[in-house]
Amino acid sequence: MLGIALAVTKPPLVTPANVTEVLAAIRKPGAQAVLLNVWATWCEPCKEEMPELIRFYKEHKDQGLRLVLVSSDDPKERHEVAKFLAAEGVDFPTFVKVGDDMRFIDTLEPNWSGALPASFLYDGEGKKRRFWPGKVTYEQLANETKQLLKRRKQP
Amino acid sequence: MKTAVLLATMLCGAATARAEGLVMGATAPLASTKMKSATDGKMVSFADVKGAKGTMVVFTCNGCPYAKAWEDRIVELGNIYAKKGVGVLLVNSNNPGVSKGDAYEAMQARAKERGMQVPYAVDEGSALAKAFGASKTPEAYVFDKGGKLVYHGTIDDNHEEAGKVQKRYLKDALEAVVGGKAPATAETKSMGCGIKFPKTS
Repeated sequence: MLGIALAVTKPPLVTPANVTEVLAAIRKPGAQAVLLNVWATWCEPCKEEMPELIRFYKEHKDQGLRLVLVSSDDPKERHEVAKFLAAEGVDFPTFVKVGDDMRFIDTLEPNWSGALPASFLYDGEGKKRRFWPGKVTYEQLANETKQLLKRRKQP
Repeated sequence: MKTAVLLATMLCGAATARAEGLVMGATAPLASTKMKSATDGKMVSFADVKGAKGTMVVFTCNGCPYAKAWEDRIVELGNIYAKKGVGVLLVNSNNPGVSKGDAYEAMQARAKERGMQVPYAVDEGSALAKAFGASKTPEAYVFDKGGKLVYHGTIDDNHEEAGKVQKRYLKDALEAVVGGKAPATAETKSMGCGIKFPKTS
């Protein structure tokens, strides 16, 4: 009986997605705020900020926060991506980018050079509110999402 | 009054948050700044390498998988176009304190390994990257024979498989400046590794 109670982190679903599919995941109704993070397993600063992103997400998902993780790794390395995310406690679907880099970058943010990591904050309507090139901190995320998450209607 | 001050602060914040890179037509900043090349140990500046037909500067590094994937193509283009009158400067702006694989000795080994015939220079304190507004590796700049920026961006449209490249952006830009023409595509983008800038106090 005790064995059943053990929490097992399921490996996350890492699905290939082009920028249109990523935007669809951002705009899918139901969230008050959506945090998009583009990262890669070979990107040290990305891996450094990941625990903080995950912690922020887990502490705010009940308030309507959605986290969309897009790995820029080679789609063939999907298992490595999944392994890293599972170790970080990720148990929700994530993506690995496919398709043209330039289109992906410019569609998300014309001011983005393509350097990783990069984070983007959207409101519940899918409108972009903030773009962070480089690492973000828990405090930055808390400050910027406060207004969006507070607006949640009480059931 | 308070509102005006607040607004001004916000505007400044927005302006500094945006990556300010060189605009098309700009000349190379810090052109006379000497940097140590791992290829031959000599001190070299943009002005020193400046070619009769044009000049190419590529911010790259040892460790970034994107830079590594494109490395052979970058070195090949450098070696080829250096012989066609284009000055070539490969620059490593990563702070070796943060990125150990980018230490000078590792750069020397890499230069030898890859058969670099062009300078692979140490950008102390990431000064050149900051002046150019370069943010990642690899990031290429091509200046024409008059020293004006005519191309900024990536190498080509497929870092993973050289055989599947359809658009050779950098090669096309180099070919254009050799021919005294403006490149058909001036700005391109790709993913890359953020340059490891030294911590600012």
